[in-house]
Amino acid sequence: MDLKNLTITQIQELLFSKKITAVEIVNFYLERIKKIDSQIKAFITVTEKEALKKAKVIDEKIKKGESVGKLAGAVMAVKDIFLTKDIKSTASSQVLKGYIPQYSSTVYQKLIDEDAIIIGKTNTDPFAFGGSTENSGFFTTKNPWNLSKVPGGSSGGSAAAVAADLCQFALGTDTGGSIRQPASLCGISGLKPTYGLNSRFGITAMASSFDCPGVFAKNIADLALVTQITAGVDSKDATTVDNPVPDYSKLLKDVNLKGLKIGLPKEYFSDPINSEVKDKVMLAAKEFEKKGATLVDISLPSTNLGIAVYYVLVPSEISANMARYDGIRFGQNTGNNPDIISYYMNTRGKYMEAEVKRRIIIGTYALSSGYYDAYYTKASKVRTLIKNEFVDALKNVDIILAPVSPTTAWDIGAKANDPLQMYLADAFSVCINVAGIPSVALPCGFDSQNLPIGFQLIGNFFEESKILSVAHQYQQFTDYHLKETPLSRGDARRAEGF
Amino acid sequence: MKITPIIGLEVHVELKTKSKMFCSCSAEHFHVDPNTHTCPTCLGLPGALPVPNKTACEWCIKLGLALGCTPNESSFFERKNYFYPDLAKGYQLTQYEKPFVINGKITVDGQEIRINRAHMEEDTGKSVHIIQNGEELTLIDYNRCGVPLVEIVSEPDITSAQMAKNYLLKIQQIIRYLGISDADIEKGSMRCEPTINLKIEDNNQTFYTPLAEIKNVASLTGVQSAIDFELNRQLEEFKQTGEVKSKTNKTTRGWDADKNQTFLQREKEGSADYRYFPEPDIPHIEFTRSEIEAIKSTIPELPDEKVARYLNDFGLSDYDAKTITADKDFAQIYESVVNLKVDQSFAKFVANLFLGSIKTHLNETGEELNKNKINPKYFLNLFESVQKSEISATVAKQVIIDSYQIGQDPVEIAKNNGLIQVSDTGTIEKLVQEVIASNPKAVEDYKKNPMSIGFLVGQLMKLSKGSANPQLAKEVLEKLLS
Repeated sequence: MDLKNLTITQIQELLFSKKITAVEIVNFYLERIKKIDSQIKAFITVTEKEALKKAKVIDEKIKKGESVGKLAGAVMAVKDIFLTKDIKSTASSQVLKGYIPQYSSTVYQKLIDEDAIIIGKTNTDPFAFGGSTENSGFFTTKNPWNLSKVPGGSSGGSAAAVAADLCQFALGTDTGGSIRQPASLCGISGLKPTYGLNSRFGITAMASSFDCPGVFAKNIADLALVTQITAGVDSKDATTVDNPVPDYSKLLKDVNLKGLKIGLPKEYFSDPINSEVKDKVMLAAKEFEKKGATLVDISLPSTNLGIAVYYVLVPSEISANMARYDGIRFGQNTGNNPDIISYYMNTRGKYMEAEVKRRIIIGTYALSSGYYDAYYTKASKVRTLIKNEFVDALKNVDIILAPVSPTTAWDIGAKANDPLQMYLADAFSVCINVAGIPSVALPCGFDSQNLPIGFQLIGNFFEESKILSVAHQYQQFTDYHLKETPLSRGDARRAEGF
Repeated sequence: MKITPIIGLEVHVELKTKSKMFCSCSAEHFHVDPNTHTCPTCLGLPGALPVPNKTACEWCIKLGLALGCTPNESSFFERKNYFYPDLAKGYQLTQYEKPFVINGKITVDGQEIRINRAHMEEDTGKSVHIIQNGEELTLIDYNRCGVPLVEIVSEPDITSAQMAKNYLLKIQQIIRYLGISDADIEKGSMRCEPTINLKIEDNNQTFYTPLAEIKNVASLTGVQSAIDFELNRQLEEFKQTGEVKSKTNKTTRGWDADKNQTFLQREKEGSADYRYFPEPDIPHIEFTRSEIEAIKSTIPELPDEKVARYLNDFGLSDYDAKTITADKDFAQIYESVVNLKVDQSFAKFVANLFLGSIKTHLNETGEELNKNKINPKYFLNLFESVQKSEISATVAKQVIIDSYQIGQDPVEIAKNNGLIQVSDTGTIEKLVQEVIASNPKAVEDYKKNPMSIGFLVGQLMKLSKGSANPQLAKEVLEKLLS
């Protein structure tokens, strides 16, 4: 049975009506992974044994008529920076090569508790530092739409796995666009929730005040279903917020596009945007207009400061968050050294990837005495400014619509040696993280090279329900999210870019 | 040449909360198997996050209020970055910009010592250096990692080693009154780092010697000796080099208790850069006015207030009041007795027994005062018997110890041992006649020198086995010999 393009709910209907077993579902994806992941390289670890074991337990429960979890039969891939007990969690860094954690991240555990099935751990830039997976300590993931292109990042492995139908949904994290940008480059949907909606506990920290765990799926309905489970206060993460979690799935239909005021920030439709991307995103806006929405031109004047703010504050937090990777309690180390300083320098020098070191150095510099006020303090002030601009803008419009990435997926290697170009690719995604508000990315067409283009719908704090329902409506009258990658169609020649 | 020591103290106090500062591990680490009280958070494992211990935060504020500090309306934690194997995360969570409480003061030896701040932080693990099979090894125990610490920073208002010691004693006493820590310097639950220099005035010129911070002082006497040593050392060094304080010449010195001297550990302290920045994993912490009031209401009567009350209400001497209130439990037990009868002479009587007898006894046996062995009624009985001259003050001091040990009414004990004072003139006269008859020589002496009556009184007391009222005995002797 072909499970591609079915929602989780549709697959569950098949499962509960005994037209398919959980083991068959798992095998469907395992076979696809075996067949095509050697080309895409989305997975670092495939958890075949765990997946089949869990599937058998679910089948047994269904057979006996026992109750099962809300995500029974839903097969997920998990970004490798999420700790998964007894399953290797390397954060795609040589630093944690072979590391098997003793505990699980809250978000992952909540999903497992609802009978979701883990099929594997996905590739990312090391510790999520990057936007293409090219910084990974192990290998680069390929874009399933065109194997010579990057899948985006940092959660590129998760995005590629969903796009190529190697799982039903996947977990990622979005610190500066790491869910929305790969979702956009891979033609799928991804939600970066409000900071504090999903627990960060058990996820290797990048920038603690920015990191947002979230979900990838092929459609908004699945995002709503999974976010329903992941969201909520966690006693182990002091920054989670104790708000009641709305019924996202139920509220999906609860929106009227007629009269909806959609803000189009002019800064997001100008340089460095590619014209094809701009046209397709504008087209999406026009489609909403046809359904009765009102388009409003707005301005978020501090947008151009986003990258600067982000690349001061994020490395600052990184420089401290990476300090624990000293090779003493866990992780790889260089063994005997004449003294403790050599031990640190050799261990960190040998195993940390170049981008990891680069960010530690930038952050250490920004926090240094004499520079702190000029960088950290100043950037913190601009952060407040950017946040306030969004909050003010959202007083006049219901939702903001913008592109996610200025371009479609680029060639592997094209920016690998130019970190600044790589950073600038985040121009349209980082401000949302700087502000801490939610944004959902979804596909809205293809460029002339048949590479996907995505857009994002941005809401105010904890307005996941609103942005998901508007996005869901869009998927009711468009079919971009149903397009299959050349690899999915078995057309390897097209995927290779011929 | 006029020399004034300038001393400031940083005092670290380990709070005795059940769990650690940022995780739910037990905070107990003294005599615990290594690395048994640990979890992902205090081991700094990937992905682990800190969640602040509310009780510890409240206790920090409580201590600050007891030290006369003002709470900050909003506080936050910061990361202090440095590498060390026993610092699991590679940074210590502490408070820098906005500590919980600021600007307090306490009075020591009649002088006000200002408190700059009291802030909350976490302890580090412990590195143990050993040699095994000829190889030098460092073992790390993370049980202490994340145990809540309050750091109390004084202004440099202390002017002698003795005052520093008394300041510490005062802080220790207040902490113990609050019941938030054992504040035991020997066990490390209270640690002290003095920072010292000298103000030298000579020929209308003023010099300040370079600052030195002293580490590893592990006892109260150590604090005093270390400061005294350092004051002398700085003076000698100044005489030789004339070096004065600058922004970059602060040093860190260790205290060697065996050699009784400080030694140089680190130079140029000014260049250390901890890159403090706000801890993003913990939201800002705000206590409302009513929450602060609620914390305030849990502060018991503090030593200074207690002493004042003892002077006023009980009429005790300053010395007695301070001695009794030195320990909160001791004072409470004392009060449980005194509260039985509102009478200054009773309060003083009980104070004499507590300090003159019971405390002496406890010092000999090395025990703590046991409140279950103190029956207030017994003290009142004893007081009344002494008032009626049935029992002498001397006997009272003896029998109260017996009573404390065996739990019997001291008046009964006195009776059973024939220690009730004889104040009956007839009986005394018989005893006097017996003493006169058997001590002709002493009687002769008395007639020549009336001042020698003491010997005859002594003989009489001996004969009565101490039960005679000595005042009455003296009067009867004088009457019969005249």
